[in-house]
Amino acid sequence: MAEPTVARKIYLRAYAGLLSLTLLTTLLAFVNMGWFNTVAALMIAVTQALLIGGIFMHALYETALVRVILAGGVLWFLILITLTMTDYLTRSR
Amino acid sequence: MIAAPEITERNYLTGKEGVLSWLLTTDHKRIGLLYVASITAFFFIGGLFALLMRLELLTPPSDLVSPETYNKLFSMHGIIMVWFFLIPSIPATLGNFVVPMMIGARDLAFPKLNLASWYLFNLGGIVTLYAILRGGVDTGWTFYTPLSTTYSTTYVIAAAAGIFISGFSSILTGLNFIATIHGMRCPGLTWFRLPLFIWGMYASSLIFVIATPVLAITLLMVAVERIFQVGIFDPALGGDPLLFQHMFWFYSHPAVYIMVLPAMAVVSELVSTFSRRPVFGYKAVAFSSLGIALVGFLVWGHHMFVSGQSIYSALAFSLLSYLVAIPSAIKVFNWTATFYKGSISWDTPMLYAIGFIGLFTIGGITGLFLAALGLDVHVTDTYFVVAHFHYIMVGGAVMAYLGGIHYWWPKISGRMYPEGLAKLAALTVFLGFNLTFFPQFILGYLGMPRRYAAYPPEFQVLHVLSTAGASILGVGYVLPLCYLIWAWRYAPKAPPNPWRATGLEWKTPSPPSVHNFDETPVVNYGAYDYEALKGELGLG
Amino acid sequence: MADNSSDVLPGREARAHLDHFATAEQQRNTAMAGMWIFLVTEIMMFGGLFMAYAVYRLGHPQAFASASRDMNIVLGAVNTAILITSSFTMALAAQAAEEGLLRPAKWLLAATILIGIVFLGIKFVEYYQHYRDHKAPGFGFQTNLPDPGGIQMFYIFYFAMTGLHAVHMIVGIGLLAALLIMTELGRFSREYHSPVVITGLYWGFVDIVWVFLFAIFYLPGLHLHG
Repeated sequence: MAEPTVARKIYLRAYAGLLSLTLLTTLLAFVNMGWFNTVAALMIAVTQALLIGGIFMHALYETALVRVILAGGVLWFLILITLTMTDYLTRSR
Repeated sequence: MIAAPEITERNYLTGKEGVLSWLLTTDHKRIGLLYVASITAFFFIGGLFALLMRLELLTPPSDLVSPETYNKLFSMHGIIMVWFFLIPSIPATLGNFVVPMMIGARDLAFPKLNLASWYLFNLGGIVTLYAILRGGVDTGWTFYTPLSTTYSTTYVIAAAAGIFISGFSSILTGLNFIATIHGMRCPGLTWFRLPLFIWGMYASSLIFVIATPVLAITLLMVAVERIFQVGIFDPALGGDPLLFQHMFWFYSHPAVYIMVLPAMAVVSELVSTFSRRPVFGYKAVAFSSLGIALVGFLVWGHHMFVSGQSIYSALAFSLLSYLVAIPSAIKVFNWTATFYKGSISWDTPMLYAIGFIGLFTIGGITGLFLAALGLDVHVTDTYFVVAHFHYIMVGGAVMAYLGGIHYWWPKISGRMYPEGLAKLAALTVFLGFNLTFFPQFILGYLGMPRRYAAYPPEFQVLHVLSTAGASILGVGYVLPLCYLIWAWRYAPKAPPNPWRATGLEWKTPSPPSVHNFDETPVVNYGAYDYEALKGELGLG
Repeated sequence: MADNSSDVLPGREARAHLDHFATAEQQRNTAMAGMWIFLVTEIMMFGGLFMAYAVYRLGHPQAFASASRDMNIVLGAVNTAILITSSFTMALAAQAAEEGLLRPAKWLLAATILIGIVFLGIKFVEYYQHYRDHKAPGFGFQTNLPDPGGIQMFYIFYFAMTGLHAVHMIVGIGLLAALLIMTELGRFSREYHSPVVITGLYWGFVDIVWVFLFAIFYLPGLHLHG
């Protein structure tokens, strides 16, 4: 059998981290930082996604293939959003 | 002349008997055949719509059918041909059948998912046929808003639902192939020893899993807007019809590569076998498959040049569209180089392969015409576009499909096919095709719009030529249907490797046993290593 | 302890691997790759909606901010914490199954299901509140805020995206219930437990989607006007 085992301690820490980040992003949302609010919220969400994906879903412990598959999905989502935005951002209103 | 061996009693066809053993099979070979049945039925249904369209277009006025009916005809023709024939065709039939054998495996990674794919496909087809029987859809296969969301009174949601369901069939097939090709290659079969057919199927599968979900969500949004009367794409509510187009084409452009990459994959095999030479520039062809798949995601805006998108965006998409032609060109050059100093056989599959190369080249180059912004303004939405994509999808993909069917026919059925008649059919298809679609380039250039039932009288001659060609083409398609059904029972039995091809699938009996291989093969030679396999293949 | 059969409930043989795979390892790795590929398709499907949201938010920044202020931040944040907790219990359940510890696995799966149901309950409360406030597009939508089209667009995406997410949750709960039954029947062991792990991947993914939904629907307007 080839299951990667993750120490329960690591799960616990990830869980604590995730809850803290939820609190952080909620509190930060009330602070006026202009356009940075959106950036901060997304950055925290990405961090949470990495914790859930990497630790709860074992992506950090799986084969490289799994990480390539995941990266590919994220990349293609970014292509979808970025290339579409080139239209919306460059239209003369 | 190799003596035809006995067909082993317990092969995949005779192994288990009874209708249920077919309907509940998880054998990739049987599932491939189930798909052949399904897509052949849809092909002729889609062809029927085409026939009605071409009959209407024999005369300038809209006299055979009303313009409203004509709208439904071209919509249903497009929907059926794209989603229920072209997209599944080679992957679900030849891919399912050949991929596991080519990599020395006993089946795909997820055989039950494979069967589920087939059922989902048929379910989607039934829902779409329901939409047709209730009166059809008139939005075009492109479902542009606001016609599809607001103004059309036809069965948009039913058609969208049918396509949505069949989309999951595609996704599962692509998923299956990727997992299989990564995980189930036999010992020694490294990536660069894989036949180019596998590279092509792999690249197509990448597109299946990345693009199809976006179509799914787009159609869902159209349905939501239509059902709940909420204006997702409605300008009155701050929506943007162009957003639909962006999302739709994000899928639908890569979709055309789903249609052509498997065809190119087949052609690589045919070109090698019937020149008895390794494909020239193996790595270039392999990487070009990936290149087409990947860069193909970056060009969708070329369907929207006159839609009102930003001109800067259009410039970017135009440039990228030129770039995506490069890997296709690499393939065409390399196939041609493969012929050079090859030992050419003129069997039917080779005729289809050569036809593909010529017609795909014409179709591809006219794509470059369309990628030029200035030229596109004049020929977009004309018959020039119609001719362009039919050259690739019919002159290209359908011919490659027929070539592949004939090529692997001995393996699939255990019998040969009538070569003389097959050559005649191939020639008929080629001539009929060109007579149908070449006049359409001229029509488009002269200004005949697409999707019009009525047209000015000066276009009639070209339309008559096109319809005449279509009838000939139809005959060319009916011929294989007939002689292959005949051949299934009555043609001479086939040896394991009638074409003396390389490739692990030819090491199995014709037809193969249920598990393909008694012992897992071990590979220590390249994909088209005729030298290493000289003795085995009985070559001088 | 060298004998693996001690982890397996009596009467059930440990499964090696399915017929068409060469080894159990190949089967396990292939199944894992397959599941991650499926998650990529989900990324693209939700991704389409995220992209559309981004386009409209770019076009209606004020409307999206105002509309978002009317969301219940407490319920949203609590729900986020709840779902993260369920991912935690799910991860533990999968690990228990890997180690052949069926009793803890059972309880952890049950906990995950319960927490998931609580999440859906809170969402239902929110939906109902929106409906009562005439904020459900297609069901008597009405607003006095400026740029009503933009406001409505926000709510269309809110319902569409959290709705699609909720559908995924319901399917997930169904899968978990099936797993619970299978665990109770002793179908899993140290040798065979991939359905639990794979469902865990699905559940984790659904959580990740929610984390982003929280960020784009609940947080945007809070920093403006306090």
